[in-house]
Amino acid sequence: MVSIHTDVGSVSLASPLIIASGTCNFGRELSEYISFDRIGGICSKGLTLAPRAGNEGCRVAETPSGMLNSVGLQNPGVDYFIANDLAFMASLNTRVIVNVAGHCADDYIEMASRLNQHTDQIDAIELNLSCPNVKEGCMIIGSSPSQIRELVSNVRSVTSVPLWVKLTPNVTSIAQTALAAQEGGADAVVAINTLLGMAIDIRTRRPVLRNNTGGLSGPAIKPVALRMVNECYRVLDIPVIGCGGISNETDVLEFMIAGASAVEIGTSVLIHPTIPLQIAGNLEEYAEKNRIELSDIVGTLELWG
Amino acid sequence: MKDEYSARLISNRKLNEESSILTFFCPDIAVAAKPGQFVNISCSNLLKRPFGICSADPESGLFSIGVREVGEGTREIREFLPDRRVDVLGPLGNTFPIDDADRLIFVGGGTGVYPLFFALSQAVKRSIPAISVCGFRCVGDTCMIDEFRNCSDRFLVSTDNGDMGIHGNVLDALSGISDSELNQSTIITVGPEIMMKNVAEWAFDRGLPCFVSLERRMACGIGMCLVCTCKIKKVGSDDQFENKRCCADGPVFDAREVLW
Repeated sequence: MVSIHTDVGSVSLASPLIIASGTCNFGRELSEYISFDRIGGICSKGLTLAPRAGNEGCRVAETPSGMLNSVGLQNPGVDYFIANDLAFMASLNTRVIVNVAGHCADDYIEMASRLNQHTDQIDAIELNLSCPNVKEGCMIIGSSPSQIRELVSNVRSVTSVPLWVKLTPNVTSIAQTALAAQEGGADAVVAINTLLGMAIDIRTRRPVLRNNTGGLSGPAIKPVALRMVNECYRVLDIPVIGCGGISNETDVLEFMIAGASAVEIGTSVLIHPTIPLQIAGNLEEYAEKNRIELSDIVGTLELWG
Repeated sequence: MKDEYSARLISNRKLNEESSILTFFCPDIAVAAKPGQFVNISCSNLLKRPFGICSADPESGLFSIGVREVGEGTREIREFLPDRRVDVLGPLGNTFPIDDADRLIFVGGGTGVYPLFFALSQAVKRSIPAISVCGFRCVGDTCMIDEFRNCSDRFLVSTDNGDMGIHGNVLDALSGISDSELNQSTIITVGPEIMMKNVAEWAFDRGLPCFVSLERRMACGIGMCLVCTCKIKKVGSDDQFENKRCCADGPVFDAREVLW
């Protein structure tokens, strides 16, 4: 019997498809379009300790094969989430991954402590060390291997929930930041978050985004993400979750061959909310036709010598 | 479950140099659509484009949108040929509060006239008296004039350069409506933001309820990505606001709640 089940460490997933943070809010809207039983997991919108209004608009710009966003972590805060959204996410019959983003290291520790009271409803915490749209924390911490190591280690000491670290591509060596996450005690890394970019309006000679810069996502970043997933896979002992421009089953297979145990899909879900189920169906067909367990292809990439 | 539909283009009618009406066959959307809602339509670019629904007929399964060329996506969509299939999400967003109104005054500018025409059609069906006021830059820019004139109890048109109707903007046109005609009226306005703001102030000064349909750059259109937010005042505050989603919490808002 072939299957598209996959494991990310101790977290077993119905399929390798996880809905990426920030692309499905807390799942309510998407649940009107798809059922989640063949979806591996869902990541919450990035949460902060206090509620955040997010950045001024305009927050979106379309670019060739991609989009820039500068939402800036608009969210109701972790306590509101626990009281109002967590139970809904837990009811979706898929793995629940809670994405947290801090202004500083203490924020992450505090949020992880609070979430640790709800381990029955949370399958993993995703440490967002990579949001490019806020001035403090996140990508600043995530660009420094030593800060990553220390932060992950401190968060590790306050929670038993599996910790995934979402990495930024805006660094010289993602292998180094990935290794720092592993050394700090991460259970998996997610590669990659968005690439920092800019769009310009030639009429106004202003950036299109009110925040000046934003995070680039979509098919435009897939080759960068694939390369970085493979770089992480080659140096790590812990699993890698691939993310960046995945829009179809071939993309998923490419990421898994590069070393991803699972993948996160985001921008393509914004455009086609039913696409996760289409991809799941196509992956099942692929596994059936080739008589393989999907997880067997993870990391089977053979680099040219 | 909601779904993404494949809609077939039935006709593409050019209105003027910049604008066209596209009619699609898609019974699911035609049956469900209500005035004020929009659809998200695919083109060659990555993101879908949002358009206010201009008409929807459950019996024929047809719905239409007005498209004004403002960029790459709308340029391509205006060139779509009949029988082409497009991916469509919809109907999306909330609706104009038409059914509760005793009398209605519709105030449209630019592409705002398309969703307003759907609202006017609904008012006619419900036998709610309706005055329509449409403003354009010039005569070459006008669209749907005959449709509005035929369906409204009274119709006023203004152009910025005066080459058709009242010389001026929609506020100049509104000044021609008597107090007795305004009495018990609900104002619904769609168009450029500065126009809606001015109409909202005009309505506020006269103690008339006013609803606006806001426009933002969108991505998902269904409330997931939070890129299309509008500043909406917190209850009981004039300067405290929260970022609401234009696509899912709107696009229709009570004008008193909008922080312009």
